[in-house]
Amino acid sequence: MTSVEDHLFQFLRGLHLEGVRVPANKQGEFFAGIQTLAPSTTGQLYWVGAATLVTSEPDLRAYDEVFRRFFGSPATLVVDEPSAEESETETAASEGEGAGDALVVGPPGGSGLAAAHASQDAVRRFAATTPRAHELIRQLCRELPAAVPTTRSRRHRSGGRRQRVDLRAIYLDSRRTHGEIMRLHWRHRPTRERRVLLLVDVSGSMKQYSPDYLRFAYAVVATCPQAEVFTFGTRLTRVTATLRVPDVDAALAALAQVVLDADGGTLIGPSLHAFLDQFASMARGALVLVLSDGLERGDCTAMVAAVRRLSLLAHQLTWWSPLACDPDYRPLTRGMAAVRADLDALTGVDDLATALAAVRARFARTPGKGVHV
Amino acid sequence: MLLDHAALSQQLRDRRYFADEGLLTAIRLAIALGRPLLLEGEPGVGKTQISHVLADALGRELIRLQCYEGIDVAQVLYEWDYPKQLLSLRAAEVSGTPVGDLYDGEFLLERPLLRALRSQAGAVLLIDEIDRADSEFEAFLLEFLDGFQITIPELSTVTAAVPPVVVLTSNRTRELHDALKRRCLYHWIPFPEPERERAIVEAQTPGLSALAAAQLVRSVNVIRSLSPLKRPGIAEAIAWAQGSLALADEGADWTEALRASLGLVLKNADDGALVAAHAVEVFADDER
Repeated sequence: MTSVEDHLFQFLRGLHLEGVRVPANKQGEFFAGIQTLAPSTTGQLYWVGAATLVTSEPDLRAYDEVFRRFFGSPATLVVDEPSAEESETETAASEGEGAGDALVVGPPGGSGLAAAHASQDAVRRFAATTPRAHELIRQLCRELPAAVPTTRSRRHRSGGRRQRVDLRAIYLDSRRTHGEIMRLHWRHRPTRERRVLLLVDVSGSMKQYSPDYLRFAYAVVATCPQAEVFTFGTRLTRVTATLRVPDVDAALAALAQVVLDADGGTLIGPSLHAFLDQFASMARGALVLVLSDGLERGDCTAMVAAVRRLSLLAHQLTWWSPLACDPDYRPLTRGMAAVRADLDALTGVDDLATALAAVRARFARTPGKGVHV
Repeated sequence: MLLDHAALSQQLRDRRYFADEGLLTAIRLAIALGRPLLLEGEPGVGKTQISHVLADALGRELIRLQCYEGIDVAQVLYEWDYPKQLLSLRAAEVSGTPVGDLYDGEFLLERPLLRALRSQAGAVLLIDEIDRADSEFEAFLLEFLDGFQITIPELSTVTAAVPPVVVLTSNRTRELHDALKRRCLYHWIPFPEPERERAIVEAQTPGLSALAAAQLVRSVNVIRSLSPLKRPGIAEAIAWAQGSLALADEGADWTEALRASLGLVLKNADDGALVAAHAVEVFADDER
């Protein structure tokens, strides 16, 4: 193996270490791309790699970082005349040369590097799920489908209510009667569940509730066809895929690896804004559940604006707060007082049992105790 | 057919599309490796536009498939023309002639994917906003994108004579399957740097002075940096330039014209208030 190939493979390995998953066929494409386009500058190599190895915008930032480490800044390096067969060799031969480059490459992939991995010391362990909790989760999975609000699907199904003539069925039927139409067939638009979006507060003040909240999130992901879960403390983390495993304890253990801001401070406003910046359309027409005590540190203007926007986007915006389990609770903190008008419901939920009660009340009505706005 | 870098860039420029290095490389790879190209980016950065321009540059037909929730195979592949079959069945019955083959090409309605395969000269297939379709449809696409072939049970298997250049766009309303991403080349289209954006705005707005374009692009970038609810894309910048130019032609001062046509950039009352609060920065006219 030449030193050049070696270097390219090490580069791929470096990507892997940074968490950019590159399957074998993508690696193959990377080399095929180098072969075909014969990049003559590091800038070109950069973009060949960007197109073949990267599959999402966050990955692009990690890619950018690794690339700089292995090949230097994409704008400055130059290679010799490329030839189709041996372009790989030439690509790497250039490494370290700092001569000027006629091609100006824009700052790749937006600003800055990816946020550095937070310290792993804070990795959190959850207690094992009790048999009682398992039973509640099963119960939740059974009752969730009926509780999630529905909408009409755009996809027609045959039979059912008489909304539209089903030409295909009529034609197939009439072939048997020599083209005579004996009976009309119909199609209708069935209902389907709306998307469910969960925003779970995992900050320090929620420490005792967040395991059960996350178990509830696990149940939602396991049951609802269109579910998305995000956690937030000081930053926003998308955890839907992490929760989509068969075992609830395995899901929670995996979460501990991913959610690095657990038990820290709270930045509700900025976290919700981060969500709205990137994923606003996920909230559109969805059932949005915010699971948080709503205790925002410092200025709450950002939180109020974000909640207002969420409520405009969502079909239904429900806020679950452990504090609201207290019958005497009134949303008097500045943040909660300002957002309560934008909420469809503010419900007291502090464990799986109260969550089940809230689900039975279809996310809106007061489940026995708690406050309904 | 593989255009070299400069030639492709020039071809696109001639059609008033100013692509950056990354996009050019991604397009050349997509053509060379015969892979679909997945484009993501903020709304209005030219994701859809590039396929129009590319089709024109390659001299190929553009076939567009707009995805929406509930889109199904009958709407993207092919469908039999049932009323026509029904009528010909009746006609044969009445006139006493034998019923011919009812699953003939004559009764086949081609939908975009089939059309893209059958196109003699090859096509550019734009699968727009794939994230709006449901995941079943995405799974179906995998098969199509893998071999560029479709099996019609009543007829035969249709394979592309010339593989289409496939461009997929997504607005990230949901995460796409890894399986789909793995098959695609990926490119994230960022907002262009001011230089490039000015070139785009000038090219799309004949009669706009360089000075005016510079001020407009600066204003657009200031608005973006204020983090409004909807950051204006290039499409909005162009609309703003054209709107303001129309007003300026009627004799309005350029800055006044920009203010008056602000509705072309901001589509939200809150954003309007935000810009009004930062009017000095947004409309600062440092050129004079």
